[in-house]
Amino acid sequence: MLEDLRELWRYRDLVRSLVMRDLTVRYKNSVLGFFWSLANPLVQVATITIIYKYVLQIGIPNYSAYVLCAFLPWMFFQMSLSDAGESVARQYDLLRKVYFPREALAIASVFANLIHLLLAFGVFFVYLLWLGVSIQAGWLLLPVVILANLAFVMGLAFFVSALSVFYEDMTYLVGVSTSLFFYMCPVLYVTEQIRNKMIPQHWQPIIWEVYHWNPMAIFIEGYRQLLLPPFHAKNLNDLPIEPRYIVISVVLSVAVLIAGYAFFNAKKWQFAERP
Amino acid sequence: MSDAAIQLQDVSKRFRLAHHPVATLKGAVASFWKRRFEDLWALKSLSLEVPRGQTLAVVGRNGSGKSTLLGLIGRIYLPTAGHIEIHGRVAALLELGAGFHPDLTGEQNVLLNGVILGMRERDVRKSLDDIIHFAELEKFRDAPLRSYSAGMTMRLGFAVAVFTDPQILLIDEVLAVGDQAFQAKCLREIQRFQESGRTIVFVSHDLDTVRRVSGRAIWLHEGALRADGDPEAVVKEYLSATA
Repeated sequence: MLEDLRELWRYRDLVRSLVMRDLTVRYKNSVLGFFWSLANPLVQVATITIIYKYVLQIGIPNYSAYVLCAFLPWMFFQMSLSDAGESVARQYDLLRKVYFPREALAIASVFANLIHLLLAFGVFFVYLLWLGVSIQAGWLLLPVVILANLAFVMGLAFFVSALSVFYEDMTYLVGVSTSLFFYMCPVLYVTEQIRNKMIPQHWQPIIWEVYHWNPMAIFIEGYRQLLLPPFHAKNLNDLPIEPRYIVISVVLSVAVLIAGYAFFNAKKWQFAERP
Repeated sequence: MSDAAIQLQDVSKRFRLAHHPVATLKGAVASFWKRRFEDLWALKSLSLEVPRGQTLAVVGRNGSGKSTLLGLIGRIYLPTAGHIEIHGRVAALLELGAGFHPDLTGEQNVLLNGVILGMRERDVRKSLDDIIHFAELEKFRDAPLRSYSAGMTMRLGFAVAVFTDPQILLIDEVLAVGDQAFQAKCLREIQRFQESGRTIVFVSHDLDTVRRVSGRAIWLHEGALRADGDPEAVVKEYLSATA
C-alpha cells in the first residue's frame, strides 16, 4: 500500500487536473455556474423548510439554517458516491490504453465534491451572518469534522468505484441505499427528536446507541453543533454529542478509508481485463 | 545492468472469459455456483529483450498476443506469470485522444492529457504552444473539443504523446492518423525519436512500414514467439506461412 501511495504522489498533478476538469465541466467555465449549481440544494432546502415549518410545525426558530447546515454535507456524501461510482467505469476506454494510478479517478471525483462543499459552506456563512448568528470560536473546529467526514466518504467511494467497474447495477444499488440512508442521518430532523414518547422505554437506549454508530449522522450533528447556536425549541432539549461517539465515528471513518483503499488496490489492475 | 530497455522473462498472460458474463451484482449472487471461466492464454512463456535505441516491430495475426504484449509493457495489465523489467518512461500511442473531454477546450485537453500520460503540469504548460503548433490547431485552441473533427482530435492526441518525451514509445496501429501531410510529419517525428536513441515497439499489419521503419521484427503466433530477427526475413517467413 505504501508503494501505491508513493506512485499516487508522483501523479498528484493528475488528481489536481481531474478535479479542475470536473469543476470546469460542472460549472461550465463560469463563476455564475457555481451559483447555478447551488440552485438544486437551495430549492430542496426551501421546500423542506416550508413543509416542516408550516405543515408539520416543527417549532425550531431559523429551521432553514438547521436544514441547510445538514443538507450541504449530505449532498457531499451523496454526490461523491454517485460520481465516484461513475468515475472509473466511465473512463473505461482510458484504462485499457494508458497506465496511471487508477485511484486518481475516484479521489478526484470526491475532491471535486469536497471543493464544492467548501464553496457552499462559504455561501452558508454569509447566510448565517444575515440571519444574525454571531461568529463562534467553535467554527475553528470545522476542518477537523470535514477531514473525518472526507475520510469516511473517500473510503466508501473506493468500494463503490471499484465495484462499479465489475457490476453494472452498482450505480442503481448505491442510489437506492443512499436514499434510504438519508433517513438514518439527522437532515430532516434533529437527533434529539429520536428520544420521544412514541418509542417504548426499553428500546430507547438501543436505538440511541445504534443510531450514533453511524459516522455520517455524527458528522452532520457535529456541523450543526459547531456552526449553529442551540435551537431552543419547545419540548426539546439540546444535547451535546457524547465524546465516545465522536471517537467511534473517527475510528470507523479511518478504518473505512484504509479498508476501501486496500480493496481498490487489490482490484485496480483487474479493471482493464474484466471478463 | 545490461543496456536493455525492456526485458521479459517467461512472461505469460491469462485472460478469463466468462461463459455466463456477470455484469450485475444481482446476477453474480444468483449464478455464484455455476459461474465458469474459460482460460485464454494470450501469451505463453515469452522471453524477450529489447536493447535501448532499437525499433522493434511486432507482426502476427489477430489474437496472436501483439496488443497484450504492448499492454504488458505499458503496465496496463499485470503478467499472470513471469517477470517484466522496464527501464525508462513509457508512453503509449495506443489509441489517440483517449481521455479527452468534449466540453473542455483544446488547450485544457492538452493539459489534462499530458498529466494523464505522467507529466508534471508545469512541464506540459511549458510545451503547450509547441504542442498546439505541432498539431496545427492554433486557431482552435480555445474552442471546445466537441467542435473538432476526428482528424483534428487525433492530431492533438499525437502531438501530446510526442511531447511527453518518453524513452520508450509504444505504437499500436495508429500511424495512419490525419491526412498525407500529417502522416509524413508523424513518420518524421518517429525517425527523430529513433535517431535520438529512443526505444520503439510497434504493432502493425502494414508490412511495408515494418520493413521501412524497424530494425528488428518478431512474429507472434498464438502467444508464442515464432520468429525473431531481421525485419526483411521475418516478414518473408510470416508471409510465406500465411499465404
